Order: sequence, then C-alpha cells, then structure tokens
Amino acid sequence: MLLKVLRVIILLALMLNACTTTSEAQSRHRIIYGLTLQPSGFDPHIHASSELGIPLRSVYDTLVYRDPTTGDFVAGLASSWTVSPDGLNYTFILKQGVTFHDGTTFNAQAVAANLDRITNPDTASQKAIFMLGSYTSYEIVDDSTIRLILSEPYSPLLDSLSQVYLGMASPAALSAFSNERYQFNQVGTGPFQFVEYVPQDRLVIRRNLNYSWGPAFYNAPTSDSVDEIEFRFYTDPATRAIALEGGDVQVMGELLPVDARALAVNQEIILNPVNVPGQPLQFLMNTEQFPTDNLVVRRALITATNREAMIDAVFQRFSPIAWSPIAASTRFYSSAVAGAYDYDPGQARALLESAGYTDSDNNGYLDFGGSELILNVIVPPWGLIPDVAQLLQDQWREVGLRVVLETVPTRNALVERVNQGGYNLVAFYEFGSDPSFLNRYFTTDGVNNWTNFIDADLDRVLRDAVVQSDAAARGSLYAEAQRIIMDRALILPIRDYVNLNGVQSTIQNLTYDAYGWFPILNNVTVSGG
Amino acid sequence: MILRVIGVLWLAATLAFFALRLLPGDAITAQLVDSGASAAQIESRRAALGLDAPLFTQYTDWLVGVVSGDLGVSMLDGQPVNEIVARQVVPTVSLALAALLVAIIAGLILGSAAGLGSSSARFALNIALSAPIYWTGTLAIWVFALLLDWLPSSGDSGLTGLILPSAVLGFHTAGAIGRVIAAGVAETVNADFVFTARSKGLPEGLIVWRHILRASLLPAVSVIALQAGFLLGGVVITETLFNRPGIGRVLLDAVMRQDYPVVQGIVVWTAAVYIIVNAAADVITRQLDPRVAA
Amino acid sequence: MRLLMFLIAFVIVAPLLATHDPMSTDTDSQRLPPHAAHILGTDALGRDVWSRVTTGGWRTFGVAALATVIALLPGIIGGLALSAAPRLVEQLADSSINAVLAFPSVVIALIVLTLLGQGVMPLAFAVGIAQIVPTVRVVRGAALAIRGAGYLESARSLGATPTRIVLLHVLPNIAPTLLAYAGVVFSYSLLNSAALSFLGLGGEPGVPDWGVMLAEGRQAFRSAPWIAFAPGVAITLSVMIVNRAADQLGRSPRR
Repeated sequence: MLLKVLRVIILLALMLNACTTTSEAQSRHRIIYGLTLQPSGFDPHIHASSELGIPLRSVYDTLVYRDPTTGDFVAGLASSWTVSPDGLNYTFILKQGVTFHDGTTFNAQAVAANLDRITNPDTASQKAIFMLGSYTSYEIVDDSTIRLILSEPYSPLLDSLSQVYLGMASPAALSAFSNERYQFNQVGTGPFQFVEYVPQDRLVIRRNLNYSWGPAFYNAPTSDSVDEIEFRFYTDPATRAIALEGGDVQVMGELLPVDARALAVNQEIILNPVNVPGQPLQFLMNTEQFPTDNLVVRRALITATNREAMIDAVFQRFSPIAWSPIAASTRFYSSAVAGAYDYDPGQARALLESAGYTDSDNNGYLDFGGSELILNVIVPPWGLIPDVAQLLQDQWREVGLRVVLETVPTRNALVERVNQGGYNLVAFYEFGSDPSFLNRYFTTDGVNNWTNFIDADLDRVLRDAVVQSDAAARGSLYAEAQRIIMDRALILPIRDYVNLNGVQSTIQNLTYDAYGWFPILNNVTVSGG
Repeated sequence: MILRVIGVLWLAATLAFFALRLLPGDAITAQLVDSGASAAQIESRRAALGLDAPLFTQYTDWLVGVVSGDLGVSMLDGQPVNEIVARQVVPTVSLALAALLVAIIAGLILGSAAGLGSSSARFALNIALSAPIYWTGTLAIWVFALLLDWLPSSGDSGLTGLILPSAVLGFHTAGAIGRVIAAGVAETVNADFVFTARSKGLPEGLIVWRHILRASLLPAVSVIALQAGFLLGGVVITETLFNRPGIGRVLLDAVMRQDYPVVQGIVVWTAAVYIIVNAAADVITRQLDPRVAA
Repeated sequence: MRLLMFLIAFVIVAPLLATHDPMSTDTDSQRLPPHAAHILGTDALGRDVWSRVTTGGWRTFGVAALATVIALLPGIIGGLALSAAPRLVEQLADSSINAVLAFPSVVIALIVLTLLGQGVMPLAFAVGIAQIVPTVRVVRGAALAIRGAGYLESARSLGATPTRIVLLHVLPNIAPTLLAYAGVVFSYSLLNSAALSFLGLGGEPGVPDWGVMLAEGRQAFRSAPWIAFAPGVAITLSVMIVNRAADQLGRSPRR
C-alpha cells in the first residue's frame, strides 16, 4: 500500500516535471540574464516597470534613439525629423525597407496604429500615454512620412519617443491579439525577436537575422554575437550573487552592494555598475508639518547627514553623493548645487539653536516650547532605504534629534500613508533621462507634491522648462529649478542610483543605453562559447 | 457532503473578498503613482475595473462569476485567473509532490530510527521542526550551490532544479510525520505481535518494516494530510528562496499589489485542494484500518 | 521542562549580558567576523551581534507569547462552547473552520499589518489571529474526548449547569492538553513572526528581534554568514526546547 502510494507520487512528480522542462535548442551563444522582479505585465505600451524594458528594448525599435555617449537624439526608425517653429508639429521621415518580425512592412500607417493603441482608453496604458504629453493627433503625409500634432509645445516628446514604452509594434500582431494576449505574442522590428514569456519563470528572445536598420551605435553582428537570451526573475536580492557565481546566469542586475564588493575579487565576474539618470535616493521633506515646516530645520537636517558615511557603509562606495533633485547623469543636471550643505554636525547644531531649539530638559534631545523635536520618517523596504534610514536615525541623534521610522511594506501602503499626512520625510524616487518628472513633485498642483511646497517662481520655471524647445534655455531653467529646490531644502538627497550589474567574464561588450536600465543587447558577444 | 464542500468554498471565497477590501488603496494606487496621471484619470481607471461600484455589487458580480467557473481577470495585466492558476499549478504541485516524497521517506526512516531509540534521528527530527525554513534553505544554497557547486540555486530547469528546494521543504515537512511515526514505533516495539514475530525468528529489518511500521502508519496519514497546509505556506517561502515559478510567488505578488481577483481565485482553489486532500486522507485511513470504516 | 525554565530565565536576564548598545550603528566596524571585542561579530551596520541576540529575546518571546494569548483565549472559549453546542451549530462551525484553515496565513498577516501598522502588538495579532481557528478545533476535540467520562456524568446527575460543568470539570481535565498545545502555538508564532520578516513584513528596521535579525543577516549571508547564524540558532534552540516541554506536558497525564 505504502509503496504503491510512493510510486504514484514519484510518477506524478516526474511527469509534471517533464512538462515544465523546455526543450532548449542549444544554440552556441545562448545566455541567461537575471532580472530583479517579476513585472506585473510585459506589454511596453501598457505596463510601466523598468524591468520590462531590459529585454524588450531590443525587441522594438523607436522612431529616434538617444546616443548612449553623447545623449543626443539620433536616427532610429525615423531617418530624420523636423519640429515646427511653434513646437506644435513633429514631422518624421521613416526609413524604408524595415520589416517587423512577422514579415509585415513598417510604414507611417504602422506608427499611426501604435499611437492609436496607446491613446485608446481601453488600453489603459500606465506609462506610455502619459509620456506623450500634449500630443493630440497624427497626420499621415505619405507612406513614409508622419506628423505628430500637439496642443501645446512639449519638449520632452523626443525623449519619450526614444523609449521602449513607445516602441513600434506590428499592427498585424496588435490586431490579431487582444491587449491581454499581446504580451505573450510580441512583434517588433528590433535586433531580437520575442520567443516566449512564461510569467514568474522566463522570457526568451532570439536574434533577428534580417535586422539591418539599427541606430549607428548598434554594431553589425559577428560570429561571437549573442543569439539567444533567456531572462529570469530573482526577487530575493540575497540569492542574486550566488546565482551569478554558481553559473545559473551570465548577467545579473541589481546585486547587493556587499555582494558586489565581495565579487570584485572574483576573476570570473566583472562588475558593471551603471549610473541611472532620474531622481537620486532622496527623502522628500514635508514643508507643512512641524518641525520640517521651518526652512532652518530642513537645512540643518541636510547638514547633519553624513552621506559619505552612508555611501561607504550601505552602498560600498559604489554610488556618488547626490546633491540635487536629479542625478548627475540626468540631462540638465547643474553642478552649481554640488557641495551645498556638506556634512557639518557643528553647523547643524548651530542652525537648530538659531531657530530656537535647545535641550532645555537635558535629555539629549532638542525641544521647542516644551515639546520635543520628533521627526517622522516613512521608510519603504526597497533600495536599502531601511539601512539608510537607520544610519540617519543615529546621525541625527548626534545633533539632538529624535527620529521615528515608520516602515510601509508596499508601494500601495506608502502612497496611502502619504495621503494621510502628518509625516516629516518620505523616501521616494523615480527614474528618467529628461527631468520633466520634476513637475510632478515640485509644482503646486503636482500629483506627487508630497513636500506640499507652494512657490510661484518654481512653478513657472518648471512649466517653462517643459514648453521651451531650445536645449540651452531648458538647461538654464532646470539649473534655476535645482537651485530653488536645494535652496529651500525641499529634499534630502542621499546618493545617485547605481545599478550594480555583474557579468561573467565570458560575456563582452555589454553596455547600457542613455536611460541606464536598458542593456544594448545587440552588441553583446560571447567568447569561448 | 457536497453541500458542505460548497459551504466551505463559499465561506473561504467570501472571507477572502471582504478581508482584502479592508486594505486601504487598491491595485491602481501604486500603479499610477509615478505616471503623471491626474486624479480624474486615476478615477476613470478605477471605474473601468469596477472598483467604484458598491462593495456588495462587486461581491455578487464576482460570486456569480465564480459559480459559472469564471474567477475573473487580474487587475494588473488582464490575464484570466483560471489561466494564471493553471499555469502556475504545475511547478507548485511538482515541488509539493517531490517535497512530500522526501518528507515521507525521511519521516519513515528518521521516525522509525528515533522510535527504536536513535538519538541522532530524534535530533534531526527536532531540527526539522524547529529551524526556520528560509534559514536552512539559505544554508543549503550556500553549501550545495556555492561551496560545492553541485546543484543550481535557482530556476525551474528540470530535475536538478527540483532537488534542492524539494529536499529543504521535504526535510521540514518530515519533522511532523517522523514524530508521529516515532511515537507509534516506540509503542509497538514491545507489542505482542512483534514479540511473536521475533520469536518466529524473522529478521529484525523485516519485523520493523512489516509489523512495527505498518501499525504506526495510521496516525501518520492524517498528519501527512495536515501537512498539505504547511506545504502551501512553505511553498511561498521556498519558491521565493529558490526563484521558482509557482502559486506561492503569484499569491505573494498579488497580495502585495492588491490584485484582488488573483488572491481570491487562489484562495478558492487552495480551499478546494485542502478539502480534497483531507477527504483523500480519510479514504486512505479507512483502507489502512478497517475499524474506522464502521 | 527544566530546560524551558532555564530558557525563559535566560531570555529575561540576557539583556544584562549585552556588551554593547544593541541599537547604535558603527560604520567603522561593519561585518566583522567574531573576535575578542565582538564575540559573535558585527552586523551590516556595525552593531554587535551578541548584544543584539541577548537583547532580542525579549521582543521575540514577547511577540510569540502575545500571539499565543491572542490565539488561545478566543480559541479556548470557542472550542469549549462548540463542544457543548447542538449538532447543527457544530456542523456549521466545522465548515467555517475548514474554510479558515484553507485561507493562506500570509494574506491574513499582510492585512493585519497594513491595518494596525508596525510594532509588537500588530505583529502578535498578525501571527496570532491565524492560529485562533486551529485552536478552536483542538480544544473542541479535547473536550469531546472526555465527554463520556464518569465525573461528568455524575456532575450532570447532580444538576450542575453546563457552564459550571465546563468550567469546573472539563477545563481542568483538558488543561494538560491545552498547555501542551500552547507550547505548539508558541513555537509556531516564533517561527511565523520570523517568516514575516523574511517576506519583508516584519517592520521596524534595526529593532533587536531574532526574526528581524535573521532576515537582515540573510541579506549579507554570502559575505558574512555569522550575522544570520546567531539568531538562527537562537530561534531553532528556543523552538526545540518549547516543543520538548510541550511534548512532556502532553504525555504526563497519561501516566
């Protein structure tokens, strides 16, 4: 009886396991790439995660690209483009002879079909539609010319059009599959074609042998070029380095800094840290809540923070100190703000004293009018923020400030907690190459104005910077915005985000595009296969 | 019987539905937080998913769907819940079965050894019951995947990928099974029929296998059935630890992202499996022990 | 049993054995392996592991003990009431019990923690609530097992009220079983609250708590395995000792 039961269990287990094992056609240059989390969906027009772009950036082409070294816009599926003087019309001349992976032809109608899909309310796009800004409609001039029409100037448009979220998908595939199904059947024009996506398990892409219309920085494939890539998800950070060392994967993103430091001595692993443009790891300070409603207190808080020690201890020196609301690798970063509020606990204490905060009851903590200074910090669990927050707690205790850390388990919980108000600082950041995201955080009616700061000058500067088309003029507007934000001490910036990628030494030429997250898989080669 | 099964399923489903809605926010909250969507746009997304309807209407709509076998679609990517479950059930069940196999074999061996007086077997069983699974799991990864480099630490790549997770999960499940067997063996070792068998000159191994173990199996079966519940909890952790696809990870993701239909659907399916496993345990108990049948 | 007494005594006085401040970070001595100044090494933020393990017992045991109370009080009342309830109620209750048992406890935990916030009480509730229904089942089973016993019959024939019978006769007689079961719930709570930390739901970063320490130590496992080692051993040993005591309690009345 028992033996029979055991036999049945063994048989069942073997059978089930056989179903899950894929027959992998062993191609010579097949590599496995470790992603960090399972995105909630993999359709670039619909979903918003950065992880989806890591594989899909190479499945789709975009109308324009950003050159990874200069940051300038270069030809993609559009060989050239012109912007009307009023900034309301963008006309794209499309490359000819481009075909999708399903054999259909890329043309102006295809661009139109993609725009139609993204703007259709039924698509419920979580990111792409918002990246289009003031775009209202298109006009097909001829088969290879399309004009995008805007209701008001929106200078981040080219930046948006260079991102995978606005990648060009085959209209035939879009109409053959529903919005829910398309993510399993994606068809683009890129150097790799989509093979399969199995949620929670893997996504596989394979080289597109017909590809010849890439941007200038895409090299022509050689016999060493990688030809198939499987992506897997490593949610638990502690297992990433082990999977890389053990050879389960050849490339792994977002290693823990400690593990990256330890791997630095391993000859077989090459570290490839990439600075990611966007917001730094930052704490937004609530200007409506005591005591962060006081500018002097906010300035004292930044001055009391030893960011260098944090970066040493938590990030193993892999990150630059952040001085600004945008990372140094972001467009229009202004170095004028660098160095402000450098660590000086003595000065922080003097500032707090000048604002009337003293330790009148001699308990080691400052108070004001009989009530103690308590800083309430909302701490999400990601990005090593809990570690940073604990060091913050200790460093601020040195200058007599009591810190209460309030952890929130998820993004939902963080947003809900912020909506309740009553916090002093909240850690939050997002990524992007064009700093137009600042408007959401620092304009009076910004959706994420969690600092509750209201300032007509900053509003005007940030709005002008989005409308202004001249790059130099935008640069000086953003320099002014960074100056105001730091002068008013609206944020406590900690470190610029660095994605710590680890690569086995058999993998060469792995570089990342201007957005930091997305590898240029086309150029990757494998040696000693 | 059928009525009770339906009752249990309905109750589990209802509990899941209302308990989840106690949480502040919903699937849309976090999704659009850094998108730049306006408040009005966010509201219209909610409406499109039916999240603005009165709670009771949402509940009855969902229940009607469940009765007709439609568990709804994920609020995050529109996949039908039934498909999500069907896709993830294979890796989870193969992990659970492999772990169960390890647990039964290890439980039998360690349990009978402990029952016969081996203190190291007793110690092993105690460890299995006392150590946090994600700690032993991490240790196992460290030793077998990193130091020795024998086995992959992650993924769902065939049999080798199954060994480490099922061994870890199975070892912990073996604790409870082994203890019951040990108790049974210790009690039967001196029973009359064992004495008779011994006096007939049967080899000791045969006596343990044929007589002692069989008598100790009965209570073990219901414990094994109870372990099905433990397995599901363990599966959430094991799948995360070893980066395996499966129901446990989907459930955890869905809970964190407040993807109501997916959580509800998994609860309904889990409840169904739980009922079936317990019913099966009843049947097996009856098979092994004719007295219960009466 | 003696071991258990020793364990509890140790946990209570252990904070006195701390050699360093368990909370204060020191970025100059991160992840030091065990040596004279830090006998169990230091953690990722330079805190002394020995001092954290010795002070951490309070919170860890406190959460588990609270969770046990949260599970047992309603569980015992519910179980006793059910054992005396009419058949129909009993059947309905049985179905509800099965429904709850099938409910993934991680879902319950996340909901409780989101609603109540962080800290000892919310964590105890998150762990304890999931154990109420299993307790009801065990208590009812124990009470039913002695239903036909002679002393109950005689109490009944003397005209005692059902409440009186339950309180004066049933409860004392199933007390050993309950105590043993309390031990089981306690070790479950210890393991489960630690598991919540692993899943990122433990809250309160840096607080000296074995579960939190184990979860934090795991992050540095590759380069500094000793950080997770000490709290791992502490949890395992504690659970083992509690289980053993529960075993002895459960067995003793039969002799």
